[in-house]
Formats: sequence, structure tokens, C-alpha cells
Amino acid sequence: MTSVTLGNFGRARARTSFWRGWDRFDYVMVAAALALVGCGLALIHSGSRPWYDGPITSLASPVAKQALFAVIGIAVMLGISRVDYHRFLHFAWVFYALSIVALLALFALGSTAYGSTRWFDLGPVQVQPSEFAKLAAILCLARFFSEHGGDARDVRSLLLSMAIVAPLAGLVFLQPDLGTSIVFGGIWLGIVVIAGANRSHLLIMGAIFLAVLPFAWTFAIADYQVERVAVLVDPNEDPLDSGYNVLQSQIALGSGQLLGKGYMQGDQTQLEYLKVATKDFIFSLLGEEFGFAGAMVLFALFILLLMRGVRAAQLAGDTAGQLVAVGITMLILMQTFINVAVNVSLFPVTGIPLPFVSQGGSSLVSLFASLGLLQSIVMRHRSYRQT
Amino acid sequence: MSLLDEGLRTPAGPSRNRPHGNVAVLRAFILLLFGVLTVRLADMQILRGEEFAQRSRENHIVRTNILPTRGLITDRNGEPLVKNVGVYSATILPELLPDSQEARYRIYLRLQELIGVSPLEVQTRVDEAIAAGRDYIAIRIATNLPREAALALEEAAVDLPGVSLEVTPGRQYIAGPAFSHILGYIGPQTAEEAKVLRPQGYQLNEPVGKDGIEAWYESDLRGQIGYTAAEQNAQGKLITLLGRQDPVPGNTVRLNIDAGLQQYVAELLQASMADNGSGWGDAKQAAAVVMNAKTGQVYAIVSIPTYDNNIYADAQRRAAELERIQNDTVTYTLLNKALNPAAPGSTFKLVTATAGLAEGSITPNTSFQIGCSLDIKGENDVIYNYPDWRCHNMLMDVRAAIAWSSNVFFFLTSGGDLERQRGLGKDVETSGAVLAAWARKFGFGKPTGIDLFGEAAGRVPDPQWKRRTKVGEGFAPGENDWFLGDTYNTAIGQGDVLATPLQIARMTAAIANGGTLPVPHVADAIIGPDGKVVRTIAPQGETIDVDPRWLQVVREGMLGSVQYGAGARAASSKTTVAGKTGTAEFFKPDGTKSQHAWFTGFAPYNDPEVVVTVYFDIGVGGDKAAPVAGKIIDYFMEHVRP
Repeated sequence: MTSVTLGNFGRARARTSFWRGWDRFDYVMVAAALALVGCGLALIHSGSRPWYDGPITSLASPVAKQALFAVIGIAVMLGISRVDYHRFLHFAWVFYALSIVALLALFALGSTAYGSTRWFDLGPVQVQPSEFAKLAAILCLARFFSEHGGDARDVRSLLLSMAIVAPLAGLVFLQPDLGTSIVFGGIWLGIVVIAGANRSHLLIMGAIFLAVLPFAWTFAIADYQVERVAVLVDPNEDPLDSGYNVLQSQIALGSGQLLGKGYMQGDQTQLEYLKVATKDFIFSLLGEEFGFAGAMVLFALFILLLMRGVRAAQLAGDTAGQLVAVGITMLILMQTFINVAVNVSLFPVTGIPLPFVSQGGSSLVSLFASLGLLQSIVMRHRSYRQT
Repeated sequence: MSLLDEGLRTPAGPSRNRPHGNVAVLRAFILLLFGVLTVRLADMQILRGEEFAQRSRENHIVRTNILPTRGLITDRNGEPLVKNVGVYSATILPELLPDSQEARYRIYLRLQELIGVSPLEVQTRVDEAIAAGRDYIAIRIATNLPREAALALEEAAVDLPGVSLEVTPGRQYIAGPAFSHILGYIGPQTAEEAKVLRPQGYQLNEPVGKDGIEAWYESDLRGQIGYTAAEQNAQGKLITLLGRQDPVPGNTVRLNIDAGLQQYVAELLQASMADNGSGWGDAKQAAAVVMNAKTGQVYAIVSIPTYDNNIYADAQRRAAELERIQNDTVTYTLLNKALNPAAPGSTFKLVTATAGLAEGSITPNTSFQIGCSLDIKGENDVIYNYPDWRCHNMLMDVRAAIAWSSNVFFFLTSGGDLERQRGLGKDVETSGAVLAAWARKFGFGKPTGIDLFGEAAGRVPDPQWKRRTKVGEGFAPGENDWFLGDTYNTAIGQGDVLATPLQIARMTAAIANGGTLPVPHVADAIIGPDGKVVRTIAPQGETIDVDPRWLQVVREGMLGSVQYGAGARAASSKTTVAGKTGTAEFFKPDGTKSQHAWFTGFAPYNDPEVVVTVYFDIGVGGDKAAPVAGKIIDYFMEHVRP
């Protein structure tokens, strides 16, 4: 059955003109993403001033690097949007296997920073396997449900879907990267809810999860995570150590007040009190220099982008496409939420970048790749297929 | 396809089923999450924004204080008595030291070479500070470094992480030990002082006056602290200077003290300590007050032994010296003897004479035939014998009695003889009370109000005081009654009466100037950094309610004392001196009897300008104190008199 599908589409593609489908391309979604990238470039420029004073055109410039990765990302997005997403679904289990291998290899070969092993250092670029694994999980879940009646109503498929995500989330958790494993959980939850999971099943599972949590807290969660949660409650308790980043990000954000201190005028950032101001704490930088108003503009861009993701799910021609779109929307939503929640001290520091905004090439490219998948779904939606 | 995949395939499962999910829930979820974030953000940025903005400012704006230059202290001619100097100290900030113990020890060894501190001691102090979690506070490992050592350290400190040279404002007392009791010293605040000074805007590292003029005029000398405000980055580097407030230097305190006179008096007293043939032994302590007879301006106030008050600034290296003067229980070096009470002896007869004249127990013309002693018939016809200090065998009026310092005359003046001669009051007790009241009129029994710390009140005994005090253990019943002998003793400055040399000087001034009791002042004026007088310390005084005629009679007696009487050796070749000697018996701590030597006088006789009071703890007034007073008046007339 699967091979037939592949064959059909292979031929269809050969006959299709390059220009077909672009009228259905979601330009609004891309515009929102590019606006976010633009915000990111401006903020990276401001946030890198304390440690980078070279020309902006040099490749050493963090702004130039980020722009370059954005261009690569856009190319990848365009490339992927030309490809039928069923082709990726076809290789879903291969991606899955590769992800597992990569995540396992990380323990032996990965680079460690801040006590966490999250990426391979390949000379000029760093590759973070969990970025790839998130997409692999989305593809596998979509494929799994589309092949099982397209829904998650029975307990069996619900538990099996969970068994698909668990190894990936577990390996990521061991890096340790609590934030990303929560993103996995969010993706799974979003997909099974849209796939029609029984509400009572979810409630029971939620109850079991809450019951297990205290044990997980004791045995599985590292001390540093406990400490990070503790300082979240009161960052003043240990202002020079774990609480430092939390406290400084609070001060940066709070002191921005309604309209901010002005572009490149944030003294928390410019005097380097705020750490990793262009990466995990770029939202605090935004809050300091552009205030509540700036944050609201950013939120509006994110909501627009995410709503276009929901639109893709709504338009999707089949269950698999819908679930992929839901998974990707959840992926971006969860990363955004966790990152901002860390910045506003609602969540312990976990090291999740703000999608499209934070400095970092591999995250940006993989995010554009997921937008490419969304575009692929939109461009092949129901009405298109019927013509 | 994987095995897993095959196994899981359901028969019903077409891969292209139509989507049926309801994505509205996803939209709601997105809005919910952003809603949560927005609420939190509004709380932080709008509701609590000002609080965070304040913390942001505190975060990066550092205020560095600039200590003001302390005001100088000069004598009446503007000659500086102190100098401001930088005090060089070596400090270690433990948190900046290298991590390895070995590298640290190399630094300690280098410090030993540079400034001679023991590496082990430094190590102990550093380790203790680290153990106590105080590694961010600099430890002062050596202070008062000589200039060369300080410069060498500053050069070397570049290669010694954590080590630095600290310069704090210090004082050098350049006028010599004769000025120590007057000037006092400055030093770091104690914990208790810091609690009081902090609300007044003092910084912890600011030295404060500890004693003497330094402490009394602290608020004038201190000046106003300045500061710089600078922007500092997270690494502690200063980025931009935001503002600067220059410190205002302290005001200069100009004293009434004449530096030459003070030095002269101190040397003179020191040279006169040895026994000059009286047989009582060497004096160990001495004091002298030279004061304006009308205004109470103090020209010299000397306490012997003196000490070098630069010791305090160098307490670490001069610990032995400091220890010695602080624990001196023989001569009590630190105690200002001019402000410390002793039995005033016959100088007190001036009070008795004035009281007698004013209360009418004698008149200027009353004369008694004075022999060797006074016999008083008490109850049951017991005869009590009250001796004079020598056999006068002459008819004396009050002038002669002052001149020859007759005890018996003043016994009769104060207490009467219980037969023909009445005392100051109608009975024994009243006489005692009236005499005490006159003593208080002349300023005895309370501090004079001089602008120096540590002044004693002295003591004026009266019947009430005795009743209250001499009871309980060690006293027989009835021993606290006031007897005739108590009045007699008080009248001649013996027994329980105690007065400071300054009080005696002040009384003398009142007699000399016709009845004004001045408040002695060491300081004359406060002078701003621009040289203009900020304020003058105005002479104060209270008028004693006494007929000036009686004081004139007393002055005549004092003139006689120097011209032909007991105080003859106080005579000056430059002016007419009037005065009164005093030789007060007292018991030394070992129980043996000894005598204090006193002389108090004024000059010139016709228009009194200066009062001189001299005190030795051991000696005879006429022999020991009087010649010193004469020389002081000579010096005054020649060098100080305007």
C-alpha cells in the first residue's frame, strides 16, 4: 500500500510544473516568521554589543551569522515545501531510528556545556540531535495514527503512541534537558488530543503522572534542576549563584516597564548583568529595551504564526498531514512558552531558545524546515487535491 | 517497513483517511498560554516595574565616597599643631587570591620581603576569613607602612592578585607630647560609635576624633563627604562617570592655647618634679592651667606625665608603649591631671575668706591673735586641739591670714569657737552648709564646662552629703554627723573637699576679675577653608552674687602672700603677682602621709589679665608650686601678653 502511494506521487510530481501550488503557499506564515527573525537580528545586535564590536558585515558578527542561517533556513523551507510531506512520512521510522542512534551517540561523543550534553561539535557548526528528533517524533506519531484509523480513541493506540515518544523524551531528559523533554510531551499531548483521545483516558494518565511526580523528583531529577526550581521561588535566596540569572532577567524585564529603556539602552544587558542575552534570555533583553509594548508585539507575531499553523492543520488533506501540522504548531508553541516562562520566572532555567528569535543556527534551520513541512501540507490541501 | 510497523497495522487502516480533528481546542490553548504569559508580564513590568527599575539602578550605579580633608588645629597664633597624612596599609582580598595554596603562599612570602609580615600569620588570617565566609572583605595585614615600603608594595601589587595598597586619611601630631591631652587623637570607629555615626552620614572607613579637641570639635573638623557615582558593569568595571560631588574640607579649629607657653609650662613642670628639699620625695604627677582672668580663654593646660598621641595611629607597631600608658596605674598618664580632682588645701581659704566677709563672721578689720593652735572646749569639757601649720604668734586680720595662710584664722572664720566668735551660720551644721554653698558659688562640685572630655566634678562636702555618704559598713554609728572639725577641715581645703586645678584656676579668675566665674575654653574660633572665621567660641560666665569689696580684701591678702607671705617665691620681675599657696595633706595608697603642692595666682595685680594655677601631687606649695607659677607669669608677660 505504501509503495503504491509513493509511486503515485512520484509520478504526479514529475508532471507538475514548478509554479503549481505557489498560489497556495502561506505567505502570511512566512512573513510572521521573517518578522520574528528580524526582531531577533535587531535584538542580537543590541545584546552582542558588550562582547562584539567588529563590523556587522563580517562573518564573525553574530548578526551576520544569524542572517546567514536564516537564508539557509529559508532555502531549506522552500525546498521542503516543494516535497510532498508523505515522502517524509514514508521515512518516518528511519528518521526515528537515526534519532535514537544520534541521541545515544551523544552520551559518548557530545559536547558538554553547563553540565548538559546536548550537541555534537562539528567544527564551525554545532548539531543538536534533539532538534531532529522532535521532527522525527512528529512524523512517527502522525504516521502511526493515520495507519490506525486516524484516531487515538482506544487505550491501546494511546499507549503505543506514548511508547513511541517515550524513548526520545527519555534520552533527551538524560542529557539532561528537562525543557526539551517537556516539549516532547507537549507535542504528544497536542497530537493525541486532535487525534481524538478519550478525555477520561487522558485524565487517568494525568493522574498517574501526578502520582509518579514526587518519585521522579527524588530519583530522576538532578540536583541542579531542584535548585533551579528552588531559586525560581525566591531568586534572592542565593543571588550570586543559581539565582543570578533568574534575578537579573527579572530585573531586566521588570525595569523595562511599559515602553522599555530604548533600543541599545538597556543597562542590564549592555553592562552584562543579563547573561546569554542573545540566546535563552533574549526575551528579557526585548522586555528591557522595548518594555511591555515590545513584548506584546512579539506575542502578536507568535500568535499569528501559530494560528497559521492551526490553519494548516485545518486545511490538511488527510489525518497524517493534520497531525503533522498540529505537532509542529505544538512544537513551536511549547518552545516559545517555555522560553518566555523561563524569562518571566514561571519555569526553571532549562536552556530552550526562543523560536526564530534567539541566536543559534541549528535551531533556526530546523524551525524553517518545520515551516517547510507546514507549507507542504498547505500547498497540498483538500481543494488542491480535488482539482 | 519495520517489524513493529507490520505488527501494529490494523485491518481498517487506510493511510489517507479524512482528517476529523477539531483544531479549535488548539487555538484556545495557544491563546491561553499567551494569556498566562501576558498576565505575568504585566505584573512584572507594569505593576512592579518601578521596583525593578530601582533595583536595576542599584545594580549598576556605584557610589564611591571621597573622604574630606580633616580640618587642622592651630594655636592662638595660627601655628598648626597637627598635620594630615596618608596612612598606608597593605590589604588582602581573599576572594581574589589564586586558588592553589602554593601560589598563595608565594604571595605571602613576597609580602614578607616587602613589608615584613609573617607569612604564617597572614595565611591564618586569610584562611579564617575564608572559613567564615568573609572572603569578599579586605583584610588589613599591615598598617602605617613607611613611604618607601608602600611604594614598593604598590609596584609589586600588580603581580600579586588580591594584594593592594590602601591609603586612609591619618593625623600626625607635630607639636609634641605637651599637647596630647588637649588634642586627643583620631581613630577608626568602634562598633558602638558606628551605630551613632551612621545616621549622621558617616562612612565606616571614616576616622573619628577620639578624645580632646579632635573629639569635642569633631563636627567642625570633619567636613563633608564627597562621592563619585559611576556606572559599573557585571564584572565590576567602571564604565562611565555619572556624577561627582566634591568633598568639603573640614574647618580649622584655632585654639586659645599658646604653643610656646604650653611647651614652656610642660618643660618647666617636668623639670620641677624632683624633690627640692622638702623631704616628701619626687612629684609623679603635675598640672598647670594658664587662663585669661576675665574670659576664661585657656592659654595653656598641661598634665604631667605627657605621652605621644601618635602612638594610636601606629598602635600595631607601638603596642608595647600603648599598653604601658593604657595600664599605667601609678601616674595615670592618659588622665588629664588639670581636670582631675585632689584636695585643694589652703587655696580653698580664698573661698572661706570671701564667705566669712560676706556672711559677716569677720569684717575686713577683724583681727585675732593667732598662736600655734586653737583649743576648743567640747562636751564634758574635753579640749580639742586644732593646730595651725606653724606657730604664727601674731595679731592677724584676714589679709595677713591669707598671706601667711593661717589655719586657725579660717577655723574661727568658718566655724567660730563655740563661745565668743560665731561661725558662718548659727550652729555647726549651718556653718558647714553655708561654706559649702559658697564653694558651689565659686564653681566647685560641678564640671567647669571646658571643651575637653573627662572633666571631674570634684566634691563639696556638706552636712547632708555626709549624712548620706558616711553610713553603712566601715562607719561607726553617728560618724555621719557633721562636726565642728568638718567645717574646719573644709575651710582649709582638707578632709573631704576635692577640686580640680581647673576649678581652682576658675575660682581665682572670679576673685581677680571682680566676681565673674568664666567658663574655660580651649578653642577660640572655627575657621573655614577660605580662612574666614565661621564662628567664635564666645566667652561665657556667670556673675557670682558677692560684694566686690570683699573680693578686693581677698585680693589684697593674695598680694601680701606674694609680697611678704607664704607665696613669696611666686614673685615676678616683670609684673605684680598676687596669689595663694596650698599644701594639702593626703594619704597615699600605701597609707603614708604626703602633701600636694598648690599655687594659684593672677597678674598684673592692678588689672588682672592672667590666672595661673600650678599643682604637684607631692611637695609644698610655697616651695614647689609658687616658683613655677612665677616663672610662668614671667614667660606670659614677655611672650604671650598681646
